[in-house]
Amino acid sequence: MIQISQNCIGCGKCVAACPFGALSLVNRKAVASNACTMCGACVSGCPVKALSLPATSTAKKDLSAYKGVWVFVEIGYDGHARFVRPVGFELLSKGRELADQLGEELCAVIIGSNTQPYYNEISQCGADKIYAVNAPVYHNYNTLAYANAMLTLIRKYNPSVVLFPSTYVGRDLSPRLASELFVGLTADCTDLSIQDGNLIQTRPAFGGNIMADIKCPDYRPQMATVRPNVFKKKPVAGKTAQVINETIAVPVEAGKVRIKETHFDPVSTQEKLDESPVVIAGGRGMKDAQGFAQLADLAKHLGGAVGASRAAIDMGLAPKEKQIGQSGVTISPKLYVACGISGAVQHTVGIERSEVIIAINKDANAPIFNVCKYGLVGDAKQILQKILEQFPQ
Amino acid sequence: MAKNDLITRNLMLDSLRQYAKNRISFNLLREHDAKNEIPLDILKEMYDHDVLGVHLLLIPEEYGGLGGQTTEIYRICEELARIDLGIATGVFATFLGSDPLNVGGTPEQKAKWFKKIAQENKLVAYGATEADAGSDLVSLRTRAEHVKQDGKVVGYKITGSKMWISNGGVADIYTVLALAPGGPSWFIVEKGTPGFTQDAHEDKHGIRLSNTAGLSFDDVYVPAENLIGLKEGQGFLQAQAVFGYTRLMVAAFGLGGGEQAVETALEYAQQRIQAGGPLAQKQGFMLKLITPHYIRFEAARAYIDWTAKQLEINNHGLATEGAIAKLYATESGNKAAEDAIQAMGGFGYTKEFAVEKIKRDVKITCIYEGTSEVLEMTIFRGRWQEHLKSRGQYYLNQASEFDALHAQNPNVGADSVALGFRALARILEDCRVNKLTRHQYVTFMLGGLISEMEVAAVFTRECAGKHVTEGSRFDIDSLCTMARVNARQSAFKTTSEGLRLILGTCPDINTAELAQAVNLVGIEDKMRGLIDDMDKVSAKLREIFKK
Amino acid sequence: MNIIVCLKQVPDSTQVKVDPKTGTLIRAGVPSILNPYDHFALEKALAIKAKTGAKITCLSMGPAQAVAVLRLALALGADEGILLSDRAFAGADTWATSYTLAGAIKKIGAYDLILCGQMAIDGDTAQTGPEMANQLRIPQITFCEQVDTNGAQVIVKKLIEGGHQILEADMPILLTMTMPADYAPKYPSFMAAHKAQEKPIHTWTAADIAADPHKIGLEGSPTRVSRIFPPAARAKGEVISGSAAELANKFIEILKKESIVK
Repeated sequence: MIQISQNCIGCGKCVAACPFGALSLVNRKAVASNACTMCGACVSGCPVKALSLPATSTAKKDLSAYKGVWVFVEIGYDGHARFVRPVGFELLSKGRELADQLGEELCAVIIGSNTQPYYNEISQCGADKIYAVNAPVYHNYNTLAYANAMLTLIRKYNPSVVLFPSTYVGRDLSPRLASELFVGLTADCTDLSIQDGNLIQTRPAFGGNIMADIKCPDYRPQMATVRPNVFKKKPVAGKTAQVINETIAVPVEAGKVRIKETHFDPVSTQEKLDESPVVIAGGRGMKDAQGFAQLADLAKHLGGAVGASRAAIDMGLAPKEKQIGQSGVTISPKLYVACGISGAVQHTVGIERSEVIIAINKDANAPIFNVCKYGLVGDAKQILQKILEQFPQ
Repeated sequence: MAKNDLITRNLMLDSLRQYAKNRISFNLLREHDAKNEIPLDILKEMYDHDVLGVHLLLIPEEYGGLGGQTTEIYRICEELARIDLGIATGVFATFLGSDPLNVGGTPEQKAKWFKKIAQENKLVAYGATEADAGSDLVSLRTRAEHVKQDGKVVGYKITGSKMWISNGGVADIYTVLALAPGGPSWFIVEKGTPGFTQDAHEDKHGIRLSNTAGLSFDDVYVPAENLIGLKEGQGFLQAQAVFGYTRLMVAAFGLGGGEQAVETALEYAQQRIQAGGPLAQKQGFMLKLITPHYIRFEAARAYIDWTAKQLEINNHGLATEGAIAKLYATESGNKAAEDAIQAMGGFGYTKEFAVEKIKRDVKITCIYEGTSEVLEMTIFRGRWQEHLKSRGQYYLNQASEFDALHAQNPNVGADSVALGFRALARILEDCRVNKLTRHQYVTFMLGGLISEMEVAAVFTRECAGKHVTEGSRFDIDSLCTMARVNARQSAFKTTSEGLRLILGTCPDINTAELAQAVNLVGIEDKMRGLIDDMDKVSAKLREIFKK
Repeated sequence: MNIIVCLKQVPDSTQVKVDPKTGTLIRAGVPSILNPYDHFALEKALAIKAKTGAKITCLSMGPAQAVAVLRLALALGADEGILLSDRAFAGADTWATSYTLAGAIKKIGAYDLILCGQMAIDGDTAQTGPEMANQLRIPQITFCEQVDTNGAQVIVKKLIEGGHQILEADMPILLTMTMPADYAPKYPSFMAAHKAQEKPIHTWTAADIAADPHKIGLEGSPTRVSRIFPPAARAKGEVISGSAAELANKFIEILKKESIVK
């Protein structure tokens, strides 16, 4: 449990800070209950530093030898062509900022076959070095093969930061590495920054309407995953990264998992959430399939795509691909309309870059009204019905 | 392994809730209610062993059931009532119908019929009530005549009719109360027996999803082995033996229905904005229409659970406690449902919202399984005996217990309970001295006041013991606040009502003296802080019941 | 065949509310459920059991009350439950959690297949499964929608960007399962809930799994929370109430004003 020293002045700030309601004031002193999960959220806010997590006995290592901000650049395939997933460029651009703040190098790591064509564009995102593991055996992603390659590189070159895209590959690979290296890994970060030489990994936390800054002060490398569209690609003119080729054998265990077939789902361009200029999304307040049909109608009239909040997807009203939010798609349309969505922070982090946000919700206190440009308080289905009546049938 | 622990109970409740969420939508209920149709497929599904197998709760393990105890049965009843009281009644009727067998059947009869019910998922009906014999079952007229062969009784011919039988039109197996030569007796009659017909489904005010039908017996022959217990004349004993238990189930109905109505209204009130803010933030609205009901629900819950635990130790009896539970919980549920409509205003008055249906449904809980008036009489009779036997000490002893409790825990209203019990003891004594119990009205009212105080006492005592009853959504501090409010109100109601009765029937009594003897001023004085406490409860209700 | 399914008890996120004033979670009275992804993984394991007669052991790390999800699993058809419960496990992030679970699996000994839900709805990291697989030095396949076995290998349908793959793999292996959008979890009958009381549940502590104290709980957690703060407030927009018709008109007005429509 969180430790509370005699310094406590009973100000109660920690009581409000605790996401789990585990702290209370008894006889004007803070007391922790069994609900304490030792998340540490209360510690920094205490004006008299009376709160602390139990000291860990791990000896502090000398971490100065770890240098370099690395970005795992994933090669994608859509059934037609191979390409660098755009999120790789976004992370390189953010990585460039972090590297500059740390005074370290930005390095891209690319594992695959015939990867040379990608080096130019990677350089143009500001990479100083490209570590390439380029061999036919790496043509398709394989957990153990790629993990072994990454571990070899990390142990050889000791980066301080490694960033991964939060894609199926990134989320399969990064935890495997974090486990082996005994380091922290923060998933789906909405922001990254540097403070006292540490990478600060920001994300919504504890299933509630709060943000957390996570850090890993005693372990290297610091690892994080980030979803597409969170950061922006910023080209840097005239750079040529130094390419370092590494030959790494694939462990025989990698053969235990074999790809038999690969299939791609047909995608209609109209439906691409992260490219659409107009997005109409529904949440729990849309209640049923009929509500979502209304959203589809409105989207059609406005030339947009339909999205959904996590709650609507949990209710089976939309497939997971339509999820907008921290663990879904981040969008930046001209117009975003949120219907029957409460606006918890996990959702709003996915829509913050929209130009105009209109929210429709019958709860005047819903947090979505704090982030929208226009808010309409009323029953979304009823209002949508009236809106649709105004369009030609 | 006889018992079901708390985790098992919660698993069953979760399964029931999920089933209802997936299969029993509000629209389904609304349609059936409008058309007066029975969702027989739902009832059958609920009996399906692979889906829920809800009827197995009441069948002993040795016959293929899971031998549910009183606690899980009332908890399931509460949840069923939240889903729909009509469906709940359909399930309950099977429980009720099997009771004479449970209580009076021979081992061979139990084995035969329980196995059949368990394995073949049979619906059962309890055939007691007749046109002229409702509350007054003694007047029953359906008769069972001997059919002899070689001088031996080999069977019975049943003639007569029954009215308002739940599951009457849809059951497969009926337990029927008939007047045999040796006295009232229970017989098992199967559907399809020649001469046995079922009437059309009644057009009722509420619980329209529950099949209610009359039964006609025209020389219906049943073999002698269908006489439950194989001994004539045991009928009333067998019926009464389980009253504690069956009344508790209906008490849970009143609780579940009432809660569902109030919670619906409260969730609406959190969103309905009038005069600048949600209705749920308005003190008048909450304290008049929502909060007092939920306080009574928690009191009812504590009392029902306590009674259930007593019944698990001693399986029969506790008929008075069962009556108290049923009277209190169903009357509270009924009034709460009425106020839930008021709370939702125009919306509450339309069929698009659930509360008007719940109000129509929950009314039956004050009528069947013992009308509130019969129960008031029963409660009065039971406790009057205690008052007489103890020479007036019965409630005084309990008052002392609560004085001691208050010394240990001054936050649960134990002082008010003590005052209320003392006042009640004095009121009963004045009734005895002045022979006021010759007024039937007085006996009815006393039954109600006794219930009021005994429920308040159990609620206060459980809170003092820091016991949060299973199924309650509240923390112990909130429950203590509720117990305080409830104790004060119950003591006040009991005392002022009691005075009204005595002064109303005895013109010679000195009012001031009587008021002092019952410490009316002391009781009123305890009201200090009442509104504040009620506001606290309102705040907690808002926190917990949000959509 | 031996299958281990990892389960987590989580608050029902559809019912967790946030206090708008303090931003803290209102967990009072919120029911706990079996993490839906784990529920799906369990059903997949049960399907394999029905086909091959496999033994299913369920494992959960949590406080004492988490035994409820093990009992649910037993009621649905699992054979044995193990609860990992110890004060020393508190404060664990995914590294320490995966170490602890792997430690228990090593103690269980024989296994062919480990199934986990892709992620917990209260943690959302999707890391514990792969980290466990690494601790156990076995291969992993993540984001699987389907799994089948012929006894010697598993065949899985796994999600990839824009589609899916069919993979074949040797056992032992760990799979993390994703849920279909229309997944409706199965719930046990009353009798199954009743009978689950007869099946064994063991509780293991840190000592029982010979856990290295530096690798569990807070000690075994490389990550730290540095700060908690409310999300940045935007300039407050225009919020209006009215009838559905009035608001619909306002909506069209906004579309014109913002040049979305003419």
